[in-house]
Amino acid sequence: MTARAAARLATLDRSLPVWLLAALILVVLMVLPLGWLAWLSVAGERGPTLAHYARVFGDVPLRRAVWNTIVLAFWSGAASVAVGAPLAWLTARTDLPWARALRALTLASFVTPPFLGAFAWVMLAGPNAGLLNRTWRGLTGGEAPLVNIFTMPGLIFVVALYTFPYVYVIIANTLELVASDLEEAGAILGAGRLTVALTITLPLVAPAIASGFVLSVLQALALFGSPAILALPAGFHTITTQIWSFFQYPPKVEMAAAFSMPLLVATALLLWLQRRVLGRRGYAAVGGRGGQRRRIALGAWRYPALAGCLLVMTCSVFLPYGVLAKAAFARAWAQPLTWDNLTLANWTFTFLEYSSTRDAIVNTMELAVLTATAGAVLAALLAYVTNRRLVRGSQALGFLAVAPVVVPGVVFAVALFIAYTRPPLVLYGTLAILFVAYLTKEMPVGYAQSDATFKAIQPDLEEAGRILGAGRLRVLREITAPLARGGIIAAWCFVFIGVIRELSASIILFTPNTKVMSVVMFDLKEEGQFGAIAVLGLFMLAMTLATVAFVQRVAGRDVLGARE
Amino acid sequence: MPGISLRGLVKRYGQVGAVDGLDLEVAPGELVSLLGPSGCGKTTTLRLVAGFLSPDAGEIVVGERRLSAPGAVVPPERRRMAMIFQSYALWPHMTVAQNVGYGLRVRGGLGRAEREARVREVLARVQLAGYGSRYPGELSGGQQQRVAVARALVVEPEILLLDEPLSNLDANLREEMRFEIRRLHETFAITTLYVTHDQAEAMVISDRIAVLERGRVAQLGTAHDIFERPRTRFVAEFIGRTNLIDGIAESADTIVCGTVRLRVASGGLKPGQPAALSIRPHAMALTAVMAPGALAGDIRRASYLGDAVDYEVALEGSPIVLRITTPPSAPLGPGARVGVSIPPEACVPLAGSIQ
Amino acid sequence: MRLRPLRTLVALAAACAVVAVPAAEPAFAQNPRVDGAKKEGKVVWYTSLALLSAEKVAKLFEAAYPGVKVEVHRTGSQRILQRVMQELQAGIKIVDVIHTSDAGHFVLLKEKKLLAAYTPAGVERFPAGFKDRDGFHYGLRATVNVIAYNTKVVPAAEAPKTWTDLLDPRWKGKLVTAHPGYSGVTATHVLALVHLLGWDYFKQLAQNRPMIVQSAADPPGVVASGERPVAANGGDYTFYQVKKKGNPVEIVYPREGVPLVVSPTAITVFAPHPSAARLFTDFTFSREVQQVLADSEGLYTGHPDVKYPADKPRLGDLKLLMTDPEELEKRNEEIKGRFVEFFGA
Ligand SMILES: Nc1ncnc2c1ncn2[C@@H]1O[C@H](COP(=O)(O)OP(=O)(O)OP(=O)(O)O)[C@@H](O)[C@H]1O
Ligand SMILES: [Mg+2]
Repeated sequence: MTARAAARLATLDRSLPVWLLAALILVVLMVLPLGWLAWLSVAGERGPTLAHYARVFGDVPLRRAVWNTIVLAFWSGAASVAVGAPLAWLTARTDLPWARALRALTLASFVTPPFLGAFAWVMLAGPNAGLLNRTWRGLTGGEAPLVNIFTMPGLIFVVALYTFPYVYVIIANTLELVASDLEEAGAILGAGRLTVALTITLPLVAPAIASGFVLSVLQALALFGSPAILALPAGFHTITTQIWSFFQYPPKVEMAAAFSMPLLVATALLLWLQRRVLGRRGYAAVGGRGGQRRRIALGAWRYPALAGCLLVMTCSVFLPYGVLAKAAFARAWAQPLTWDNLTLANWTFTFLEYSSTRDAIVNTMELAVLTATAGAVLAALLAYVTNRRLVRGSQALGFLAVAPVVVPGVVFAVALFIAYTRPPLVLYGTLAILFVAYLTKEMPVGYAQSDATFKAIQPDLEEAGRILGAGRLRVLREITAPLARGGIIAAWCFVFIGVIRELSASIILFTPNTKVMSVVMFDLKEEGQFGAIAVLGLFMLAMTLATVAFVQRVAGRDVLGARE
Repeated sequence: MPGISLRGLVKRYGQVGAVDGLDLEVAPGELVSLLGPSGCGKTTTLRLVAGFLSPDAGEIVVGERRLSAPGAVVPPERRRMAMIFQSYALWPHMTVAQNVGYGLRVRGGLGRAEREARVREVLARVQLAGYGSRYPGELSGGQQQRVAVARALVVEPEILLLDEPLSNLDANLREEMRFEIRRLHETFAITTLYVTHDQAEAMVISDRIAVLERGRVAQLGTAHDIFERPRTRFVAEFIGRTNLIDGIAESADTIVCGTVRLRVASGGLKPGQPAALSIRPHAMALTAVMAPGALAGDIRRASYLGDAVDYEVALEGSPIVLRITTPPSAPLGPGARVGVSIPPEACVPLAGSIQ
Repeated sequence: MRLRPLRTLVALAAACAVVAVPAAEPAFAQNPRVDGAKKEGKVVWYTSLALLSAEKVAKLFEAAYPGVKVEVHRTGSQRILQRVMQELQAGIKIVDVIHTSDAGHFVLLKEKKLLAAYTPAGVERFPAGFKDRDGFHYGLRATVNVIAYNTKVVPAAEAPKTWTDLLDPRWKGKLVTAHPGYSGVTATHVLALVHLLGWDYFKQLAQNRPMIVQSAADPPGVVASGERPVAANGGDYTFYQVKKKGNPVEIVYPREGVPLVVSPTAITVFAPHPSAARLFTDFTFSREVQQVLADSEGLYTGHPDVKYPADKPRLGDLKLLMTDPEELEKRNEEIKGRFVEFFGA
């Protein structure tokens, strides 16, 4: 080796390959499938064509599906804010009793797969057999149902029940940062509690509310399971169910690709709007560490407010899981739970006879753990690279990492299907394709969490290690990683939960050997096997909560972001 | 113990040169302060030396080793330096002993027992014996600062870098620590770059001070040099208060401004050319009666400061208004007519005015 | 005491096994093939037979041939076809035996040369409608599409008697239908009624806003729960099973005729477990299994020796509406497309 080359080598940052690799993985994850998607949407027999678009958007029922999606997404977002924002304020800033329990219940509705909730609500609020409606008829003696879940408002209701936790988390975290002296300053000037809340607190968290709204709209846009369970029986489609039905034989993949574009554009547009409106403040609406936080006394409103919160939890947790528990032990879910109707048959069937159960549980668990681990590590690396600007274009990497937010699960699944059913990488039929789908889909959540974590770790702390002689990777291992542990574990949990409840991409990408629990449950739903779904649903909840509880215990941190 | 040479160093952020052609030679074992207003490039320079940044032009040489040049930067961990950060950057998940011992562990070569002994020794040195098992969060600000010092010193670095290490301390402690750092420097004699924007601190601590202006060294010298003989308007104004007088050189040692004629002890002015002088407020004397050779003036304003009185005096026959500081005996009131004595030694011509 | 539920589970599992064993047949005569199947270890079965029935057949087989597992993948007929084609496109060859209720699929699969010719033992005596003339696929079971209603909600006198009765506005919001885009039984049903009554019938039926479910096995549950009191279609065997369990469900065989759905089964040409596939296919056509399908599942079969429960009408007594598999295959798109057009999803 020449002296010159040796000198070169001495100055080389040996961690560079690691960063480049992380970046490369991300680019391949995102760019390849979406490139194929875009290409297929315009690919014709002879060269590019807009024919697919023309067909898709010339079709009246398809246009109706677009409109249904818009209605669903907007109102779900609005309803999520209407529920999530007051709940966050009440639990974070007032002396509302049972705030901890309410937070735990919010977590429970967060981990509930929306399709499972929708399914439970079929049993609760089906217009004729639904338990609530039957009770209602019993009480009033009337004919008319109290609620019909198989309608657009019913769908919005059920979707909002499982998207409001997103609003809750964002607003609760923001409220944690708002020092109460800001509010007290208002109170001293003679403003009442409500006036303070409306004139001071509300404007302070307005950006967070806007973010929460956008986030829940995005969730609602991308949902597949709930509309499949509630909209299809009522005879209407949304974009996602429509895309899925394009896969029926003979498949019209190019039309699915073309029809994916409005969803893609809509999400991108929304996020862009959000950035425009909020300026550069983004999610972290209120900077700085808050001063002291005193809780606002609700006075006479304490118990009415609590009742309101409990009503929400009743709808999102108690009733659904109650009816699932009933269905799990009943011969006929719609009949009263008498001795005759009580059975373990659903359990024995699900775990002993139904041959898909075991594989599905193993696949789900394996994928969830793998994805959460890979996702947390990759997100941490990327967040680290972008925060410390380690490579040229690291900002672009950060953008890429959150970019999957604009790609709804179904759309991404279509893209993956197109990209990975052909050489060079035939991943379809393996767990790998699901892994790739989940990893990409959950990357924004993991990245956002890690990003916040690394923003909170002063670069000084690392530089102090560097100058004392530790290389970049060693500093990462011995200094940064221990400090970031809590945040990274939270990211792990988020990804884990996300994978467990994933349906919209899985439904397109699974093969018989790679079924996951959500797909199995959806299969069962199509055949009306209520008992088995209930059993699997309860099992899934137990599995998720046990894992999250275990990880939280190890990490000593509340996943929903409450600081100790 | 090597010295440090910074040659033509440039670091740009976008169009702006945060460091813009900086030259500086630090002798082995010397402590040089980088002093300048906010945003002049002090931190950037220090981080270039530490290897956290790579220069756009120029080079950094320590002893025989060329550590930085564009595209060839020896990473920080191989520079054999130590640094004390403004925030102290103590690792909250490690005890004081672990913090201090980290550098020894990373650099290797010592057994565990020996490392522990060295850590104990250095902690005793900064008066923290017995604090080894505490966590940084359980220490006061001053104690944390000393842990940071201990952590840097224990590895016996060739070069020590400090970035405003005292700015987080309260005034009393800060003054105490200044002397402490100077004492440590005298004991260990490590080549040191010390960043501060506090001139008093720089003067107490440094062997020499480099005053930075927009990414360059405006003047390098001892505290005395810089204070008494500022070479530029910027240095004169930045270091202490001063009066700047613009006029025309009449001869090599005389300057004229209106009807006022001032003598310059150093000489060397360019006759017929514009020239500028710096005169420190305390270098002049005020007399209630006109002394021979004194200039006549009117007191515009007088501020009593306890240990001194600060006057604004308008000189007769010129637009010059001087700030003059005198001992507080027999203060004069506004409107009084006074004589101002300006010794030629007090008149320091600025760069550009002399040949 | 604490172990009680667990013990119950174990006892139940044991009970299942015991029930399953007697079905073993003297198949050990064909030993080389059994050995081959055992070596392959399993057979992968894509089936549209209702889940509980499918799992039961699988358990029977596993009890008869220990060491050969049946991997049941149960979904709707149309989904099965979709999966098979989708997987082949990616070069994935998993499935050994395909069984759906859309005879058109087998026309298509045969045309694409994806089926292996195989004649299961004993099918020579099956009626012609159960046999492919080229020997690629055979009808494993049959069902007829019927109307059913919840007896607690609808008095027998008021129940619909004919397909056209369902068009009466008084059933508005009271009907449930399965989907031809999912269920082969339903696709066959739609084609048969289009022949009988024309597309206009479905256009009018849609005016009554039926609830749309996917599988033809789902309407029985919906009717039993009372969510919708009347099923506009569905295989009679699933209604029969629900009724047998004591649910308030009654079946109506409309006078105009009932669409007969013969569900074929075939072995794929690329079957990864060919011996097991043949063994399993033979097994499902054996008299014992065909009798189980008839007895506990309420299905019709082509096997001449099968005895039917007394409370089921003979096939010969019903007016059967027949469909041509070739036509079913050709009009598949049209059937799904127009259904969606009328019903919205
Ligand atoms: N990462 C960066 N990106 C862009 N500009 C920067 C960056 N870091 C520093 N600068 C700019 O470079 C110039 C010098 O910054 P530097 O931090 O070196 O100043 P300083 O002398 O240490 O100031 P202070 O006394 O306030 O700490 C400033 O104008 C600053 O805005
Ligand atoms: Mg600085």
